[in-house]
Amino acid sequence: MTFYFGDILPYLPVLLHALWISVYVTLIGFAAGSVAGVLISLARSSGVRALSAPAGVYIEIFRNTPLLVQLYLIYFGLGQVGINFNPFWSAVVGLTLNNAAYTAEIFRAGFESVPAGQREAASALGMSPVQNFRYVVLKPAVRNVLPSLTNQLIVLFLFSSVGSVIALPELTNELSNINSLTNRTLETFTYGAVLYYLVSVAMAMSSRLAEKTLFRW
Amino acid sequence: MNDGGFAQFLPPLLRGTELTLMLVAVSGVVGTILGLVFGMARICPVPPLRWVAAVYINFLRGQPVLIILLFIYFALPLLFPAATFNRGFTAIVGLSIYAGAYMAEIFRGSIEAIPKGQEEAAEALGMGYFLKFRYVILPQAMKIAVPPAIGFLISLVKASALVSVIGFVELTQAGHIISNINQEPLQTFLVVAVLYFIVSYPISLLGRWYERRLA
Amino acid sequence: MITSTLNGSPIIEVTGLDKSFGSNQVLKQIDARVAPNEVVCVIGPSGSGKSTFLRCLNLLEKFDAGHVVVNGHDLAASRTNLNLVRRDVGMVFQSFNVFPHLKVIDNVMLAPMKVLKLGRREARERAETLLAKVGLTDKADAHPRQLSGGQQQRVAIARALAMEPKVMLFDEPTSALDPETIGEVLSVMKKLAEEGMTMVVVTHEMGFAREVADRVVFMADGVIVEEGPPKQVFEDPVHERTRAFLGKIL
Repeated sequence: MTFYFGDILPYLPVLLHALWISVYVTLIGFAAGSVAGVLISLARSSGVRALSAPAGVYIEIFRNTPLLVQLYLIYFGLGQVGINFNPFWSAVVGLTLNNAAYTAEIFRAGFESVPAGQREAASALGMSPVQNFRYVVLKPAVRNVLPSLTNQLIVLFLFSSVGSVIALPELTNELSNINSLTNRTLETFTYGAVLYYLVSVAMAMSSRLAEKTLFRW
Repeated sequence: MNDGGFAQFLPPLLRGTELTLMLVAVSGVVGTILGLVFGMARICPVPPLRWVAAVYINFLRGQPVLIILLFIYFALPLLFPAATFNRGFTAIVGLSIYAGAYMAEIFRGSIEAIPKGQEEAAEALGMGYFLKFRYVILPQAMKIAVPPAIGFLISLVKASALVSVIGFVELTQAGHIISNINQEPLQTFLVVAVLYFIVSYPISLLGRWYERRLA
Repeated sequence: MITSTLNGSPIIEVTGLDKSFGSNQVLKQIDARVAPNEVVCVIGPSGSGKSTFLRCLNLLEKFDAGHVVVNGHDLAASRTNLNLVRRDVGMVFQSFNVFPHLKVIDNVMLAPMKVLKLGRREARERAETLLAKVGLTDKADAHPRQLSGGQQQRVAIARALAMEPKVMLFDEPTSALDPETIGEVLSVMKKLAEEGMTMVVVTHEMGFAREVADRVVFMADGVIVEEGPPKQVFEDPVHERTRAFLGKIL
């Protein structure tokens, strides 16, 4: 068996553009999902039944059903009732909702890892609950769960590939196309695998960098 | 939205669920065996084996499941022509390889969690490598491995949905086909989601129960 | 107790032993000899290298230079079958290291069955005898987590004895125990000594050393500072370092 890795080279720009779409969708989904995740996590631990029950249900639903089915529901299902998202926004919404459920659990562990004494000290100093949270709890909590968050980011990035099924022009989609065009399966998917792997590693490294610069104390 | 007619689609959806369960069970077992082999290779005293295991584990864990499945789907028939028309087999191979990499890390973590003193006590009693693992380390590691393994099992259930992409008619693909027929993707996929939930949620409860029991 | 003088060959012979952890040299050119039936107690401050020295005797620690010959086997020689040598050298650890997933009796039976290839019945008889010897017959079917520290350590001693070793190494066997349970472990060790077992014991229990040891070795900063009969080392030490150490703890 001979390999023709060179045959794929002309498609490299296309692949890189598609990779960028994967990364872009991931970053938006991660950012929006994390914000939502913090809110959901707070609702879940709030002790107010009206908040914690729906939050709990949300988390369980999104953690126990496949992302693909969630995307189908958003792309096709909502289309049935007149809400039409294009592949890009379907993927973004899907990844956001999905990510929110996972980061909610991660943040819950993070908040619990901040010693209660910290919050008590802040209250004693007269800080409001919001100030307390924003200045005393949030940053240490995030630092403690940075490894889990990084892992979640990488997982989300790998899951952006599911977008290919709803015609999002991201990396996996392009790889399938190029494979059909050139019939060089091994070579095409090797390029793809390497690209996915390199970006995962880059994400892990940036996280370590962030840990050293933003969270150093 | 006519729910009256929807009942006719339940049998194929249930059949799809059955196939999903079959996929998960088979690739779960094969993946666990692969994971044990590669997990132990990852920490064994032979450097080339360690290196090969590390490459397998790290490279595969850095891949989307879909890429692994697509690759196997296109590449496997080139190696084994008989596999061309058996999508189920391809699906199982792909999912097993994916599971193997993750289970390997779970086993590695469990083995490394065992205090070094246990290993030393076994060695001091004159136990060689295999005796040591068989009677002292692995029995303890297996117990530690159960909660993360159950967590991964749920991931495997969700990953099995991607097998629909290569045309194997498990639950998600069944839903896809049906929604094309009845033009009601919303109901169809809601039912599909509920069926996945019915499969996954008990598993996650089991995992949480087992974790409490270990503590 | 020594029942014969050191005229035969020693059961353990250490020459020129060197060991470093990174840039820190923990053992410096150690020479030592242990006669059959001899009880040697190794004492000294933390960081003196005494545990490391003990662990070199069954190669749980690899050493950088020198020779350790145990029962005629040179531990550093590549063709030495380590597992074979370890059958003759029993070890009792500070943290017991009893196998938590096995019942007490299975803990004691495991190595005889799997390493010495004893049949189940023979292994059980041996285990029951040893459990009686350490005073734990009624705990045979219990799990280690149900036992106190002292009881677990006695199980560990029985487990090591089940291999019928020629030498028993004890690495601070009572340091992790509650004061009430130290006594029960020390009396088992004393009984072993009286029966003629060759023992090397790293310990802080000076009373035990004084009463049971044939020879006391004082280590500090990676060298053997002084050694001799307990009476001499404890009551009339030669070196200032020994005097200083004993002054602080006695």
